[in-house]
Amino acid sequence: MSLEQKIELVLNGRKTTLSIPVEMSALTLLRDVLELTGTKRGCDEGECGACTILVDGVSMNACLLFAVDCDGRAVTTIEGLSTVDGLSPLQRLFVEKWAVQCGFCTPGMILQGTYLLSRNKDMSVTDIERGIEGNLCRCTGYKKIVEAIREAAEER
Amino acid sequence: MTVIEKTSLIGKGVPKLDAPKKVSGEARYVQDIELPGMLHGKILRSERVHARILSIDTSAAKNLPGVHAVITAADTPGVPLGHGQDNPPLKGDRVRSMRDEVAAVAAETEAIAEEALALIRVEYEDLPAVFSPAAALLDDAPILHQKHPDNIPFTYEYGHGDVALGERESDVIIEDTFELHFVTHCCLGVSGVVARFDPEGNLTVYSQTQMPFLYKKEIAPVVGVAPEKIRVLQPAIGGGFGSKLDIYPFEPIAIFLARKTGRPVKLVFTREEEFIASPTRQPVVLTLRSGVKRDGTLTFRDARTLHDNGAYTSWGATTPFVIMQTISSLYRLPHCRYRTTVVYTNNPYSGSFRGFGNLQATFAVESHMDKLAEAVGMDPLAFRLRNAQKTGETTLQGMVFRSCGFSECLTTAAESSEFLEKRALYERYRKQSGPIRRGIGIASLLHVGGGAKIYRSDGCGTILKMDDYGHVTVLTGASEIGQGSETVIAQFVAEELGLPISWVSVVNDDSEITPWDVGVHASRTTFVAGNSAQRAARKAREKILRAAAENLGARAEELDLRRGHVVRAESGESLVELPRLLRSLHFAEKSDLVMTTEYYEPPSVAQDREFKGDVSASYAFGTHVVELEVDTETGVIRILEVTAAHDVGRVINALGIEGQIEGGVAMGMGYTLSEHLLVEKGVVQNPSFRDYKIVTAPEMPEVKMHFIESHDPEGPSGAKGVGEAPAICIPAAIANALANATGKRFYELPLTPEKVLRRLKDSRADR
Amino acid sequence: MTAIEKYAVPRTVEEATELLAANDALMFAGATDVLPQTRSGKRAFKPALVNIRCIDALRGIEREGNSFRLGALTTVTEILESELLKEHVPVLVEAADSFASGQLRNTATLGGNLCNASPAGDMILPLLLLDAEVELASRSPQLKGALARRRLPLCDFFLGPGKTRLEPTEVLTHVHFDAPGESFVASFRKFGTRPAMDIAVVSIALGCTMEDGVVTKARVAFGAAAPTPLRGLRTEALLEGRTLDEETLAAAAATAREEIHPISDVRGSAWYRRELVQTLTGRLLRNVARTED
Repeated sequence: MSLEQKIELVLNGRKTTLSIPVEMSALTLLRDVLELTGTKRGCDEGECGACTILVDGVSMNACLLFAVDCDGRAVTTIEGLSTVDGLSPLQRLFVEKWAVQCGFCTPGMILQGTYLLSRNKDMSVTDIERGIEGNLCRCTGYKKIVEAIREAAEER
Repeated sequence: MTVIEKTSLIGKGVPKLDAPKKVSGEARYVQDIELPGMLHGKILRSERVHARILSIDTSAAKNLPGVHAVITAADTPGVPLGHGQDNPPLKGDRVRSMRDEVAAVAAETEAIAEEALALIRVEYEDLPAVFSPAAALLDDAPILHQKHPDNIPFTYEYGHGDVALGERESDVIIEDTFELHFVTHCCLGVSGVVARFDPEGNLTVYSQTQMPFLYKKEIAPVVGVAPEKIRVLQPAIGGGFGSKLDIYPFEPIAIFLARKTGRPVKLVFTREEEFIASPTRQPVVLTLRSGVKRDGTLTFRDARTLHDNGAYTSWGATTPFVIMQTISSLYRLPHCRYRTTVVYTNNPYSGSFRGFGNLQATFAVESHMDKLAEAVGMDPLAFRLRNAQKTGETTLQGMVFRSCGFSECLTTAAESSEFLEKRALYERYRKQSGPIRRGIGIASLLHVGGGAKIYRSDGCGTILKMDDYGHVTVLTGASEIGQGSETVIAQFVAEELGLPISWVSVVNDDSEITPWDVGVHASRTTFVAGNSAQRAARKAREKILRAAAENLGARAEELDLRRGHVVRAESGESLVELPRLLRSLHFAEKSDLVMTTEYYEPPSVAQDREFKGDVSASYAFGTHVVELEVDTETGVIRILEVTAAHDVGRVINALGIEGQIEGGVAMGMGYTLSEHLLVEKGVVQNPSFRDYKIVTAPEMPEVKMHFIESHDPEGPSGAKGVGEAPAICIPAAIANALANATGKRFYELPLTPEKVLRRLKDSRADR
Repeated sequence: MTAIEKYAVPRTVEEATELLAANDALMFAGATDVLPQTRSGKRAFKPALVNIRCIDALRGIEREGNSFRLGALTTVTEILESELLKEHVPVLVEAADSFASGQLRNTATLGGNLCNASPAGDMILPLLLLDAEVELASRSPQLKGALARRRLPLCDFFLGPGKTRLEPTEVLTHVHFDAPGESFVASFRKFGTRPAMDIAVVSIALGCTMEDGVVTKARVAFGAAAPTPLRGLRTEALLEGRTLDEETLAAAAATAREEIHPISDVRGSAWYRRELVQTLTGRLLRNVARTED
């Protein structure tokens, strides 16, 4: 029997209260408890970045975060990036630039890209490549992903 | 009067149709599927590499609260699966490798299922094991499968011309042995399946299969369900690259659990399990003997390959079909002999993996091309151009090159990269002081580009319908595995019917709805599914123009379809909006809808018993030039630039095709430099991304791409397949560049820094 | 599998040490090592799980005169982006730059990296160059609600892979070091088979204080070359008092090669690690010599 803990967080802009097992990861919280399957489980050990989310605006691997440690924090997942008005500029550019093939790494890439854009509007291609070094992709060779982020930086 | 210009979608960068769903997080992959009452399945894998199973005690596991079923081989029909029919989903009497499936559990949560696995007690009796083909071929080697007491399930033998004559004609003969290693697909989406029976015993499977129709046929006898009662649904797939081309035990196991529990069962691998249990690329030991005349004409190749088949047979055992094509037909070759021995071991078994043996074969052939060129005093480009085939040639294995941009690929890649000038420069630089050296290398590829007739049919079906508003729904048998097939198909249809792409939907993920396609492999989808869709759309176009001609009192030849309008072809004047015309057809006295079908079978032939025949409807060519830097004191290689020239027949989607090249280059680089599934005594030593290194963003070099459009006569709008090509000649180009930089040849992959450094420090003369 | 009976989020060091004294506890902050280790079974949960990430007193990069004090909760990103550290101890920022991925840099803490005690620990090597000390706090046995503090030189902190002198009742609160001054030139090199995401095959941090072309102080530290991060004392001794000419460089590199105790594993063989240490030591020293000129 797992010890449960009540937590309160702001999830994609909405205040959310729930009780969860203490040893649960944030990734399991998002996918299995909250049924937000946009955040992907690629390796469950922080090596692939497919589970990247924003916590208080800072990018992290959800698989390496205890769900209970989301208490009092603001969490953003891929589901929280688009609004009723549509896709975010970065999401739109991923579509336009063919930065998506199988798409499994895409939510993590977009979250990490969103984080990078929030920190530095003056990124070179090398900066972006280093910025996504923790996000693995097997399909694209990264070129168009970097291009989408670069153009998003220019648009701002 | 509205005038509409003729525009075309062919060759444009039309955004991927399913990208919006994927960027928003809405796309559902098999790992995301939730069904009411769904249970979670987990597999207990062997603890031993080779052992008799003496007993399996599942009682404690069965009694764990939350567990709904625990099964072993005794609970199943025991029908083996896979390409070799030697792989029972659950192993009852014997385990032959570390990935062997011994038992399986279905429980209410993954955590409970895992706990249950830990409670299953298996008693093993170790048997002697073999970890290399050489060991398995010894007289006293253990017999792994009774059906093959010599441990050789397959051999291949091919020949054309007369190798003995070829040897006599040669002025230079060289021989080398190349060793290619275990790597694995590393799809970001791990293996997984969801299986569900309905009350009437109909089976629905949510599978990541690349071949939904063959899947039905092949899994039916294994699970004891008639194929017509099996429905295959394909959620978005988290990568394929050939890993989903065969059926693997976890799928029937999930189905058994679903039947036993009466509940849907979802079975998803952990990443560690993915490294251990999913099929690898075929490791090959390839001994190649090549000859050439003083004037630079190739004379013969004699190749012997030894394949580690692992413990069970999957598609890796058929890579010889592709390897021999490159050995026999990459460049003009008068005499050839090819022999393969496939040997069982207690190692992991291999499946199909993008390139399907061609990376291995091209590594050997193109390394030799450089050595032969040097031996006869020709530069590597001139030597290749001399032997490159031209349009209209037929190889002695029977492949007809109806479109062939081989020479253009060579010259384009060489010019664009300044290959000859840099090569000479870097050769001079070898003498300079300091640890850094640069090198540049060239290599070409030949691969099927119009399907491959390795099954009774290589075809694809399309059903097309239009609604009253001009919207087209295309039902295609071709699967989308990330490569963008649905977008290319939509482009062909939109092009024929003169529609904006947003008016076209593609349905490709339900075997109950879509017509047959053999599967995504052999780079066939643009060619075969594209032709199928294009022809179905052409039939619709004809019907529409006939109806329009009748309505408008014109001749069909005078009309055209543009941007949702029926127009006068010459002037572009819009005569009627297409939706309006469709409605008038629908509600006419003799009412009708526009619905068409097409089953396209490429005009290729199955190979005869001697492996000869025009097995594909077209062939793809490409040349890569790789420029690299190597630190001779650490062995680290940095790829600076890749120049890729590909004969693709015709570019259909300008962005999609670039995506294939860029992704293929990354995959080829990983194979050559950093990826190595380390298997020691049958056990995977590095089953995680931490120690199995796929390429990351900062490592990608500049990739310059050139597309040669040779306008294939059979290809849809002239296009040929390109999905596998970009990975194929990277290893050889890198090895050739490294030889240019260091003066040393490498015959083994991967070229890790340690391996490179050891070799560079080896003062023995280079061979 | 041990069931967790208690979860606590102390807000002060006092509260934390109180919890550690009263419970058999597993502590975490960034959890980037703790979570995967508990998941894989490498580390067991204890009856108490204590989250120290919310202790504000453990944050901050502070300087008083020449002395620096880094809170244990300082993230690797904070180190990477600190103008103060970039100016005074750039070698620490260099190490932060090579650390894993952006996501991990955002989450992983300095204290966590030290307590995880990986032989390859990226942040540890530059701190060894700086003769850093760790500050450990526990509940005072004499005075209720007060803390007992002690300091240890970092080079004495590690006992083996994953093992430190941190007692189960202690919290690592701060890392202290003095800025070495402008005449100290140092760099850090991590070597993996790829630039990113690598656990080091080997890593080296090396720094020298030069006066009139002579080395007055040398500090060398090796990672992934021994069971714990290793100070290269013999290499340092060789360098001190000498000029950085080719002969010295070669001798120092050879000594470095001999004084490490590398293993062979999936990342590299012992031979290769020795080769790299020798080559990279020579190169780093050459960089130092060039910077001095």
